[in-house]
Amino acid sequence: MVSGWGKMTETEISADSALGGIDPAQPPCVEPSVRQSQKEATRNRVIIAARDLFDVQGFQGTTIREIAKQAGVSVGSVFTTFASKGEILNQVMQERLDRLYAELDRVMPHLRGSTADRLCTMFSIHFAFEAQRTRLFLAHIAAAYDWTQPSSAKPMGKNTRLQEIIAECLAKGVAEGDVDPESDLQEIIDLLMGAYAWVYRLAASDGADAATMTAVMDRHIALIADGFHRR
Amino acid sequence: MKHIAPLQAAGEAVVKVPTRRTLAKQQTRAKVLAAARRLFSEEGYEGATIRDIAAAAGMSTGAVFANFTDKSDLFREIMLTDMVALGEAMREAAERGKGVDDALLKIFSAGYAFYKSQLPLARAAFSVGWTPEEGPQLRNSEPSQQLIELMVDQLNAGVERGELGQEAEVKLRGQMLFEAYLSNFKQAIFEGWSLEALQARSRDQIRVLLAGARRG
Repeated sequence: MVSGWGKMTETEISADSALGGIDPAQPPCVEPSVRQSQKEATRNRVIIAARDLFDVQGFQGTTIREIAKQAGVSVGSVFTTFASKGEILNQVMQERLDRLYAELDRVMPHLRGSTADRLCTMFSIHFAFEAQRTRLFLAHIAAAYDWTQPSSAKPMGKNTRLQEIIAECLAKGVAEGDVDPESDLQEIIDLLMGAYAWVYRLAASDGADAATMTAVMDRHIALIADGFHRR
Repeated sequence: MKHIAPLQAAGEAVVKVPTRRTLAKQQTRAKVLAAARRLFSEEGYEGATIRDIAAAAGMSTGAVFANFTDKSDLFREIMLTDMVALGEAMREAAERGKGVDDALLKIFSAGYAFYKSQLPLARAAFSVGWTPEEGPQLRNSEPSQQLIELMVDQLNAGVERGELGQEAEVKLRGQMLFEAYLSNFKQAIFEGWSLEALQARSRDQIRVLLAGARRG
């Protein structure tokens, strides 16, 4: 149902955020904003380098120095843009998730079928997206429990966008009559989030691909739906 | 520290008359584990260093490394010891349950009560649990699998008693109950939920997850 999603965005990301809107073929014209755009270009280079390194070496296994080297910038200029490695991770994930959620916002209104079906599709889009960068995503989740993260960090679970999307999906189900209006929606959201995180562990321990994770999640959703279906 | 007792007891059973050397070694291990437990709780897994742990235990880093291969080894030992004790507490709690819902609720509650006084350590465990190297080791460990098995046992008992249908998909449900149990730690750790609030939430979750399995 969602084949083709897997390819979504990776190429776009490197295409538009790598260049940061600057065409490398054109010499940068000297404008007052040149400093600004240089800073922006550094930022984008660091984010891409960090994304690739975190994904291969893990978050803890990557140093700021390696990120700077791969991005082709000085360690000093990394620190003028980001306060810490944790902040770089947050920015990397923020950009990725913004794209994912923008895509979901576009798709969700067009989904048909039961609430459970719509949830299955929504999560399958997530798995297709995140399976491309497994270790990066795991680092993102682990950061939620990390002491050394800045308090401004938005690790997995503190980002409320996914919860909002599920809530909208369930509310639609209540309106359409296949979700019991007596159900505690927040509780169902939490169960789904718990299932989602658990299924993601399959990628960590068994190297499961997106299709496998989607199949497992579908079963979890069906079981949870038994608990919220209107009888 | 009382949770370390079973493992030590097992070790002593092999060595009939512990030599002075063995005793000293056990004492060293116990001291390191106690210091590590404290530092992991205060500084988190990443924040606690072997050097700090050694200093807190009043010994050299070399002495720590003579007993544990690295920090993850130390953390794993603490976690596994706790999980064995937790499993016992949960099993006892389940035996007092009346019916499948109640038995499961008592298991959840026993878990939250167990970690109530050591939430920072639970937080460190979640952090470590998501790392690609350590996560699978902890999850696939025998004591961890036993906790899921305990949930499955309750479901099977429910099927035998006729509370749940034969098609109850006990394996999947057991795993989902376990993940629901774990997911509530987020509220406990970050939002300071009381045991009562966690119990109320758990009761509803169990009801939802068993809804499709009930008979009739």
